Amino acid sequence: MTRPLLGITILEIDGPHTPLCIRLATSLAAKIAADLGARVLKLEPPGGDMVRTTPPLLPADGRSALFQFLNTSKRSITLPTDRRAALDALLAGRIDAALYEEGDVVAAALLAERNVARVEIAGWPESMPQPHPPLSGFTVLALGGLLDMVGEAHREPLRLGGHQGSYPAGLAAFTALMAQLAAKNVPPARVSLVEALLWVNWKAAAGAHADGKAPTRDGTRSEFQVVPCADGHIALVYGVTQFDAVAALIADPRLNDPRFATRPERRRLITEIYDVLKPWCATRTRAEIYKAAQARGIPFGAIVTPFELISDPQMVDRGFIVDMDGLKMPRLPVLWNGTGFAPSPLIEEAGR
Amino acid sequence: MKPLSGIRVLDFGLLTAGANTSAMLADLGADVVKIESGAYMDPFRTVGQRDTAPGWWNRSPQFHFTNRNKRGVALNLKHAEGRRLILELAKGCDVVVENFRRGVLERFGLDYAALKAVNPRIVLASISSQGDTGPNRLHASYGSTLDATGGMAALTGYADDGLPRISGMDVNYPDQVVSLLASGLVIAAVMNARRTGEGALLDISQREIASFMIGEEIVAAGADPKRRAPPRQGNAQDGIASQRCYRCTDGRWVAVTLRDANDEMTSKRVTAQMNLAEWCAARGASDATAELNAAGLAAAVVRDGMDLIRERNLAGDTLAWLPDGGLVKGMPYRFAGVPLVVERRAPDLGEHTNETLRELLGLDDDALAKLAALGVTSAEPERI
Repeated sequence: MTRPLLGITILEIDGPHTPLCIRLATSLAAKIAADLGARVLKLEPPGGDMVRTTPPLLPADGRSALFQFLNTSKRSITLPTDRRAALDALLAGRIDAALYEEGDVVAAALLAERNVARVEIAGWPESMPQPHPPLSGFTVLALGGLLDMVGEAHREPLRLGGHQGSYPAGLAAFTALMAQLAAKNVPPARVSLVEALLWVNWKAAAGAHADGKAPTRDGTRSEFQVVPCADGHIALVYGVTQFDAVAALIADPRLNDPRFATRPERRRLITEIYDVLKPWCATRTRAEIYKAAQARGIPFGAIVTPFELISDPQMVDRGFIVDMDGLKMPRLPVLWNGTGFAPSPLIEEAGR
Repeated sequence: MKPLSGIRVLDFGLLTAGANTSAMLADLGADVVKIESGAYMDPFRTVGQRDTAPGWWNRSPQFHFTNRNKRGVALNLKHAEGRRLILELAKGCDVVVENFRRGVLERFGLDYAALKAVNPRIVLASISSQGDTGPNRLHASYGSTLDATGGMAALTGYADDGLPRISGMDVNYPDQVVSLLASGLVIAAVMNARRTGEGALLDISQREIASFMIGEEIVAAGADPKRRAPPRQGNAQDGIASQRCYRCTDGRWVAVTLRDANDEMTSKRVTAQMNLAEWCAARGASDATAELNAAGLAAAVVRDGMDLIRERNLAGDTLAWLPDGGLVKGMPYRFAGVPLVVERRAPDLGEHTNETLRELLGLDDDALAKLAALGVTSAEPERI
């Protein structure tokens, strides 16, 4: 299978003063294009991309696992202090599109001058009055309303694991990049971390608009909860019409209580329901519970660690995690006519 | 110039993951024809039911959020004539998007082989929980299931109780990110099909996307035995000196990231050596945030859904307000000089059936009347 973006050349222009949270989005977008076969030149600022030293670090050689993940299948060039001249020289060649970052005035000017198809990755929405306060991936989650949705009602709001303040913007930037390539003279695109996150969290806005009241985190008052089981944890997730199926699975007569007949009442009495569900889960393993639930079409989910994914039968069968130079590396989450695109290690070219 | 003008999409997308992939293509200029029927509606029409008066299935807010800028056609796939018309429509389409249960498309004779036989250039985006292959291909999931089975929940939770956490039913995070990637993959496949004359089957696993969103943790866990059983660490993050939320006098929370020792010193200067928790507890959230920001620190008031609809500068183009006060999804990016325009509100069930079949297949009044009489184009829900 020939990779679909073969023959396309894309610049990832890493700015000299870009905050980490923006860089993670830029590099993710470019990585996806690179794994799809585009020739991606990653232009690092003098001194290199700060992600090279950002945790998690690999115990053997101290390299950053984050950097390895975000920069597969690219070629990297570290630009000299005079970025303008080096960048100008690169732009004289055939470049189909470029990703660049807010605040990189050199790249912005040169790309505009040459009218290169381009996507800018920024922190705040353009509509937000200046000056824009500093951002972190964590404050992006706060601004997009996602922090408010996770955790216990009366406790500190919780972030999701990983870099979810950045990655939705990275995916959006990839799609905007594809739109740039799809036709001639597409206007330049701009993606902001805050907008991408808010867009992902649309149900909070939809709920607030429909009900005049924001949905919010309700942790152990929620219908979906994570509970301990014999060998770990299980997420009890099911459809609003599936309570009877759940009751049949657990087969405890207390769940047939007529007080649990309607959803509003079940929500009110959720603690009593979980008092029945928890002991049942506690004596069974994740695999037993998951299997029994799936057999009834109930979408409970076993809590699986990133390490366990490496040997997960479904992941193994689909070849989702591949060996890349001794590292366990996820491939792009798509099979293209049945083929997965294995990522390859970053190639370091000499500086220019 | 709309990047996807001239591209036509046959949309079987349901709920968020599927329907929103097509909606993103529509926003970029594609002509998206959403196929439902009285026998099988997008479940978002039911999930978001607000009343029981006739036509309730056209009033779900969730459905309106994810299906604007599409036309709506009712064609019953359980009817042979419905299936024949789908294949006729596929001849003139570039893309088909579907996220049915695995096996449904095959059962209707509309799988990739059948579509490819009538149109070799067609791109089929097949979005499913686990992917088209593998021992778990038939397993069901909701977004929050994939928080668990994709690996993110194991990295989410308070440090003290150690309980893994999921994003929950009002977020279902893994469902929301699918379309951001899937729509880009579809565009790449369409460009390739134009160049080579050959379409593609894109087998997109939502669980794989959920795991991809924590890709670096898989790399790290594979190389470092110490990371095999990750502890929950609240809002703290490796490599960040201090990161958490503080409650202010007004009861609101402020999220603060202190990246390193420099940020910690700056924070001490702002708070006159008080710890941040006490300092925040003595002032309002907006004041605290403004002072921390002025000193160059990353701090933000934790927004909730009401804030998101109130603060229109913050929402940017991600929410689109309709002239009648309605609210629907906007776009996650903007193109210079091209304001977001919602050209069509989400279609009523079967709203554009006749005009679409006339335009795309050249059917006349007699043919349309016959289809209606057979029930092929019925737009009355058969059951709730």
